[in-house]
Amino acid sequence: MKSELQAIQAEALSAVKDVKTPDMLESLRITYFGRRGKLTDVMKGMGKLSKEERPEIGKLANEVRATLTAAFEETTRTLHRQQQEQQLEAESVDITLPGRKPAYGKAHPVMQTLERVEAIFRQIGFEVVTGPDVETEYYNFDALNTPADHPARDLHDTFYLTDGHLLRTHTSPVQIRAMENQEPPIRIIVPGKCYRVDYDVSHTPMFHQVEGLLVDKHATFSELKGILTSFARQMFGEQTQMRFRPHFFPFTEPSAEVDISCTVCQGEGCRSCGGTGWVEILGAGAVDPAVFEAVNYDPDEVTGFAFGMGVERIANLQFHIPDIRTFYENDLRFLRQF
Amino acid sequence: MNVTLNWLKNYIDFEFSASELADRLTMLGIEVESIKQPGVELEGVVVGSVSTIKPHPNADKLVLCQVDIGETAELQIVCGAPNVREGMLAPVATIGATLPMGLTIKRAKLRGETSEGMLCSEKELALSEDAAGLMELATDIPVGTPLATALGLDDTVFELEVTPNRPDCLSLIGVAREIRAETGNPLKLPQVDFTEDGTDVRAMTSVTIAAPDLCPRYAARVIRGVKIGQSPPWLQQRLASVGIGVINNIVDITNFVLMEYGQPLHAFDYHKLSAVKHGLASCALRRIVVRRAVSGEKLKTLDEVERELTSEMLVIADGEKPVALAGVMGGYDSEITEATCDVLLESAYFNPSSIRATAKALGMSTEASYRFERGADPGIVLAALDRAAELITELAGGTICKGIVDVYPGEQPLTEIRLRPGRVNFVLGTALETATMEEILKRLGFGIEESRPEIAPTAVGFGIEESRPEIAPTAECTFEVTVPSFRSDVTREIDLIEEIARVYGYDNIPTTLPKGDIPVPAPDPKVEVRRCVKQFLLASGMMEALNYSFSNPNSFDQIRLAADNPLRNAVPLQNPLSPEMSVLRTTLLPGLLENAQRNRNHQIDTIALFEIGSVFIRSREHKEPERVSGVLAGQVGEGVYSHPYRHPDFYDIKGLVEGVLEVCGIADYRLQKTGALTFHPGRNAAVLLGDRQIGIFGEAHPEVLENYDLPYKAYLFDFDMEALVDAAIFAKRFEPISVYPKVERDLAIVVNKETLSDMPTELIYKTGGELVESVRLFDVYEGEQVPEGKKSLAYTIIYHSASETLTDKAVNALHDKVVKRLNEELGAELRM
Repeated sequence: MKSELQAIQAEALSAVKDVKTPDMLESLRITYFGRRGKLTDVMKGMGKLSKEERPEIGKLANEVRATLTAAFEETTRTLHRQQQEQQLEAESVDITLPGRKPAYGKAHPVMQTLERVEAIFRQIGFEVVTGPDVETEYYNFDALNTPADHPARDLHDTFYLTDGHLLRTHTSPVQIRAMENQEPPIRIIVPGKCYRVDYDVSHTPMFHQVEGLLVDKHATFSELKGILTSFARQMFGEQTQMRFRPHFFPFTEPSAEVDISCTVCQGEGCRSCGGTGWVEILGAGAVDPAVFEAVNYDPDEVTGFAFGMGVERIANLQFHIPDIRTFYENDLRFLRQF
Repeated sequence: MNVTLNWLKNYIDFEFSASELADRLTMLGIEVESIKQPGVELEGVVVGSVSTIKPHPNADKLVLCQVDIGETAELQIVCGAPNVREGMLAPVATIGATLPMGLTIKRAKLRGETSEGMLCSEKELALSEDAAGLMELATDIPVGTPLATALGLDDTVFELEVTPNRPDCLSLIGVAREIRAETGNPLKLPQVDFTEDGTDVRAMTSVTIAAPDLCPRYAARVIRGVKIGQSPPWLQQRLASVGIGVINNIVDITNFVLMEYGQPLHAFDYHKLSAVKHGLASCALRRIVVRRAVSGEKLKTLDEVERELTSEMLVIADGEKPVALAGVMGGYDSEITEATCDVLLESAYFNPSSIRATAKALGMSTEASYRFERGADPGIVLAALDRAAELITELAGGTICKGIVDVYPGEQPLTEIRLRPGRVNFVLGTALETATMEEILKRLGFGIEESRPEIAPTAVGFGIEESRPEIAPTAECTFEVTVPSFRSDVTREIDLIEEIARVYGYDNIPTTLPKGDIPVPAPDPKVEVRRCVKQFLLASGMMEALNYSFSNPNSFDQIRLAADNPLRNAVPLQNPLSPEMSVLRTTLLPGLLENAQRNRNHQIDTIALFEIGSVFIRSREHKEPERVSGVLAGQVGEGVYSHPYRHPDFYDIKGLVEGVLEVCGIADYRLQKTGALTFHPGRNAAVLLGDRQIGIFGEAHPEVLENYDLPYKAYLFDFDMEALVDAAIFAKRFEPISVYPKVERDLAIVVNKETLSDMPTELIYKTGGELVESVRLFDVYEGEQVPEGKKSLAYTIIYHSASETLTDKAVNALHDKVVKRLNEELGAELRM
């Protein structure tokens, strides 16, 4: 009987090796473990054994059973694994077929730039306020220390409405409106549309500006430099160099134009910066006492500074669009690019 | 304005290279817009002397010249110019030189004879249009001299952008003063030296200023016996180098002095001024009357245009008639001509506003008006006059009459300003020494005197905090600063502070961060609504458009607005760029439809655009309500196998509208068809909140599509942003999430075709009450198996309780009740 068991084990282990499918395994299981299975038969014969033989054979029979069970389980797992592998292989896809991308839109490039500018100033405590596009001579010019016969008015080609109003030529009138409506301290930025009679590759009759104004008991020109330097580094990168050039605006004094190192050549001098290494990004200055007087602030009690930048211009430092009018054509091939 | 490096060096010494000077001037606030070296184009062109001329053996019209250019061997040059002759000096382009027109000179054979260079005409060197013959050069120039040097073109020209507040920099001496501020070197002003002859100028002319408000100062000299002719080369070169045309010696001199001092001068032909009549005999005296023009009076100006004058305009008149438009342009009839022998030279100071208004009214801008309207220097009137008189006698001969007529009714004391050094540092955030401030102001030409210590330290106190030791109050001393006459822009302490800042250097001012309080702004619901709506539309595949605020008035017809629609009442512009941009927009839809049209014309058919922007309502106070509008047309999807294109339909635009409302937290709206003519009458809806219409959407009317050349349907929406802001609910509160299982039941019913789909939905909610969590319409069907005139609607109803597990029994009972009610109220039959 012992030899019979050993033979069964050897035979079964050999047979299980050739098993290719779960069905074959099942029939093999029945061959050995079924009601009439070979191992079952042997086990049934155990009763006929002598008392002496029984423990030894019994032990052997259990070992054979355990060995075969383990072999069958192992084969089951192997078969399952093989089957899964086959299935996965069959399910393989063409990864180069296009994905099902949800439709998504993009903000207009001018608005993207505007939003970045706003975010930077919000972070340092500037509130975003707006004002009307249709303005009066008073807010657009007079209150900003630019009386009717001032030569600086020549720099603004103004659109007038038939009722004597005008389209604001800059966002600066909102400085006046803000100061009329609140007491210092003031920290605001004013994004908005502006208009000038101008239409060529670098000018559109409507464009966007962001105005900034800070008024406090003691705001200094050095702080203006600080704020704008911080802005430029965040907007154009940590390596950005800045240059403050004296300039003239009727509503600031001292006034400055601010250049950054050219974003194309990093200040080496190239075609896009006219070889100077610098590109102008904004105008700024300390609020002129005459402006404070126009809003009934006492120029001896408060100081402040203001700055203004053209959004299209800043956007174009990044995008390099040869004809700025493209911004307002809303060609979807253009809008998709940003 | 242009200045040149060499010319500047006449007035001040400095060691800067061209680019250094450009940088210094720019950082002083006089931006150098360009630097040009005109001589560079003439490299390789030298002065040559034609020593001998032989006929060309093979050509009648050509000759062989031997030309000395100062080198050991003479050059043989083939030439065909008619004026070539032995002994003449002419420009020679040597081998390797590239002429301004782009021609590079090579050794060549012309009809078999070697030519080792080229003798040039002025045109070939781009110096003038003269191509008639060789350029003739003065015979005293050494041969071999580079032509650029010989012509004074080896100079550097700076194009300056002078800001409107700095008319004092519109001259060479003015720019030299800025260099003085930078370097501290002294100015070298022209030393005028001449003798006057016997005739007293008062016997020649008298000046009356009838409008002293417009002409605070008028001075004149008379120079007799001048000879009109060409200016010498140096003067012509000077003027040419800064872009001023050459006319004759007298006019050139006035222009030269204009550039030198910034003082516009005018020269009259003395004898063209009418003589004062004494009875029948006229005497020699020519009167000058500075007065307002008589309305309708006429004057032919130098540019030969007859101008009609108004009583606002200032003229220079003789005893009878206007002879010049004061400060703008001289009169044609009294201009200097070849026949002129006596000259009346004017040097004056005019009121800036008056000159500006006159120039503007007549559409004129001249070198003179440009300076006067910005503010000339009344203090330089006589110096400029003398300088010009001296140059005239030097270059045109003649004698200067004895004396000067100088009428100066508007004489003002020089402006004095008190400067508090503490204030300088307070405003700038610097810690400058008073000595530095003093030095800067002195270099700029300001007079400065220290005042006695002030008792009241509060003068510069302005609440300086103790935590700012860098701004130590230097209240002890103040300065009394006297402003020179050429700096009319400086009238206040802050103007002096700016002067100190710019000369000290903006780059040297520290960079600090604000120390003041940070204001805390109130949240703005408008910003929030705009952000939510924009985010949703972008996430839905809509691209953001930005259109001009201008509109074409015919766009109202294009979108079929009714004749009485208030949106037609647009605000017109007084000076539009074009008829297409002649009014302010009252709706965003035409802009978006034009965008659709434009894209369609470029074969882009996946059109999904929205815009958020103001429109302009005509009223006394000009309202600018903000709107959000969109257009969907052509196709949606990506057109790939998994995402085939399809045409958008009404429910695409409706979905966008529902989304916009949802992100604003607006739920209690209703929809209602409208008669708006822009839309398909059966495919549009107004969004109503109570009785207020907050938006509209739908399919564009076929005629609108036609008007914008769209070959397919387009869907539009248009919301009033302010209404959205008013209705938006952003207060978000947690609602408990049920832990009990939900039960899903599908329900298919057959109803009359006319039944609106939300009627069963509402009834289901009403019947099921709190236990109905949601009702979803998942199928709408008409056709086979559904009787004629009927349609099948299939819903998934989700029953859910917050407090218990719903049993089948309970759900069935409720569901039966729903079915029964649908049947009773809508005649709905269950579809099996």
